[in-house]
Amino acid sequence: MTTAGVHRSAPVAGRRPARPALAVLRLPWLYLVSRRVPAALGLIAALGVLLWASLHWHWNVAGGPAAQEFISLAIETGAAAVVAVTTYGPFGEPERAAGRWLPYLRLGAALALTAAAFGALAAAAAAGATGGTAGAAGAAGAAAGGLAGGTLAMLRNLAGIVGTGLLTAAAAGGAFGWVGPMAYLLVTEVALAGTTTTPWVWPAHPAHDRGAAICASLVYAAGVAVITVRGARNSGRDPAPE
Amino acid sequence: MTAMTAAPARPRAPRAASAAPLTAARLLRIELRRNAMPWVLPLIAALFWFDSYRPSTGQPPFYLLRTFWNMGQGHTIIDFGPFVAGVAAWMGSRDGRRRTRDLVTVVPRARYTAQLATWAATAIWAVGAYLVCVGVMFAVYAHQGVAGEPPWWWVAVGATAVAAFSAAGFAVGVFFSSRFAAPLAAFAGFFAMAESSQTGFRDSGGWALILPTNSNGNFQPDSGIFYRYLPDLPIARLMFLGGIAVAALGLLGLPAWAGGPRLRRAAAVITVAGVAATGTAVGLASTARLSPHGIVIPALHDAASDQPIRYAPVCGRAAGVPVCLNPAYRPYLADVTAALAPALREVSGLPGAPVRVSQVGALYDYSNGVGSEAMTITGHPPLLSLPLGATLGTLPGPTGDPGPDGRHHHRASATGAFDQTLGLLFAHAFVGAGNRAGTPAQQAVQASLMQGMGIPLAAQPSVLNFGPPSWAPAGKSASGPVYVAARRLTALGPAARQAWLATHLTALRSGQLTLGQLP
Repeated sequence: MTTAGVHRSAPVAGRRPARPALAVLRLPWLYLVSRRVPAALGLIAALGVLLWASLHWHWNVAGGPAAQEFISLAIETGAAAVVAVTTYGPFGEPERAAGRWLPYLRLGAALALTAAAFGALAAAAAAGATGGTAGAAGAAGAAAGGLAGGTLAMLRNLAGIVGTGLLTAAAAGGAFGWVGPMAYLLVTEVALAGTTTTPWVWPAHPAHDRGAAICASLVYAAGVAVITVRGARNSGRDPAPE
Repeated sequence: MTAMTAAPARPRAPRAASAAPLTAARLLRIELRRNAMPWVLPLIAALFWFDSYRPSTGQPPFYLLRTFWNMGQGHTIIDFGPFVAGVAAWMGSRDGRRRTRDLVTVVPRARYTAQLATWAATAIWAVGAYLVCVGVMFAVYAHQGVAGEPPWWWVAVGATAVAAFSAAGFAVGVFFSSRFAAPLAAFAGFFAMAESSQTGFRDSGGWALILPTNSNGNFQPDSGIFYRYLPDLPIARLMFLGGIAVAALGLLGLPAWAGGPRLRRAAAVITVAGVAATGTAVGLASTARLSPHGIVIPALHDAASDQPIRYAPVCGRAAGVPVCLNPAYRPYLADVTAALAPALREVSGLPGAPVRVSQVGALYDYSNGVGSEAMTITGHPPLLSLPLGATLGTLPGPTGDPGPDGRHHHRASATGAFDQTLGLLFAHAFVGAGNRAGTPAQQAVQASLMQGMGIPLAAQPSVLNFGPPSWAPAGKSASGPVYVAARRLTALGPAARQAWLATHLTALRSGQLTLGQLP
């Protein structure tokens, strides 16, 4: 290897970039790409389509409330699992040592992805409700079309389950962040089949139940806080599934 | 380069015959040590306890009831399958995520073989954990004195289902090497189980019987007590799930990077065999029919499976009449004799009054559903056949359900229901109404006999709801011509009623009496 082919000098340190706005966006963009956020958004959109299809064609598991809520709850869990898995970082210690913006990027990504998941699922629910035979429209129609509790309950459920995913990612590693939401789904199904009263099983409560909303919010806030400050568990730092 | 091509080839050292298996074993050992599955197993075990074991403890202590939820409805599979699929996908995507696919391809051992070793390690952890969890659960059941035979065939189905989930998840990971492979596979597993439940609850026959959470017809009221769990449907499901596993593993060997042409051809054959096994199993399930002892698939059915389970009965006495039960029902013997005593006293001395009560295996009736079956009085001397398993829903005694204090409690409310149900079934059999509601005269005599047993007329309409649905719907109140006649008959007094019954019982049982002919 020689420098024979090099005709231009290396960029001088301190030179102002040609497009400052793009330079500001470069770091978040690189962060989002490293976390596979574009792919995550695609998967969330696909889950939205699945929710729409389940409402449009009235997919329903026969049985009590647990069975009837299973499909929509499973889709919300799938979206939460996707959000949790995006916390997995491939760079480990070097990134932690060099990136002082990292907590802000983590916070922004978690909030933005939760919002995107809610938006996609709410839109799908509204479209599924209006497209179905129930004939209702908008957010309220989501409940009439088959989404138990409507979009308000969905927001609560989704936020809480995302919180479980973020907490799992912090404890077990980002790659295994999906385990928490899936386990919570299973626990919820069992609790729904019985006569549970604890607000920690928030999907079992009506949309306007204050205790359930507080619990879901607490879990979400804890998840976001932990993932912002500490990040997902890194297999290079702590023992975690590889 | 020229020097290299001119150099003589180094003679290849002869391999020991045992080298290949030894290397494979070493590879498997490394994969077992480096597998991610053990990390998730504690969580799965906790979910297994919460979802599969804990709800089952509320059931009476019979294996068929304790395991109907976790084995019959496939909850053990739901607890394991999606998580196993997710972790298997993570393991399958390892080479792709780490960008080591090309590196692994150039090693002497075919990549397909290495992938199979990774999958085998994942499956060994998962299936091993499943068997340990089920084994511990059955051991706890045995310690609690749960009666009957465990449903071993359904354990095999569960283990094969776990292997199938691991193979399918692994294939997802290999072909979709991404961090999202694991949650995608787990979500797909959950969704597949949900759809399986949806179809399973809706379709009680046909191809849908092959679905692992379809509980229709697989557990009968006295399976594992009077007759065996029929293995026909479990065998078909083993074929189905095993076929899925084999097909998924075969798919791994089809791409160019998997290995040489011979190996890829072998993988194609494996894939086709897996698909064929799956299709055959679906076809076999389509031919299934419900027999009294469970689902029968003619092509798989072995007549030896229909042999009853031999047992030495346990006996007690009710109003001087011997009452013999299957030893599995020993905890309920006192309750049964106590419930039958008023009924047997009521008909004592009448022609056709049973001189012996013997439990028989309850059978599933499509029209009536489970938990409803008539008693019969047959033979000379008359023998009352008691299908106690049909009243499982009202069984008194220890349910095995630990209360808040951790102790087992008597279901007091259920005891009353049990006494009344047995009284109703006995009176119904005694008047000769069989499996139908009976004539109005038979219904009136039945009502009078039940009142004599201590079940007031006013309470009888609600008691009738325990009877088989084919007995006609019970009214909301004890009114109408039947109850008017019953009141007239009861007003005669015990001695006069016995005398009238002794004279007219044959005509009553043959259905020739009308309400107007009652005194």
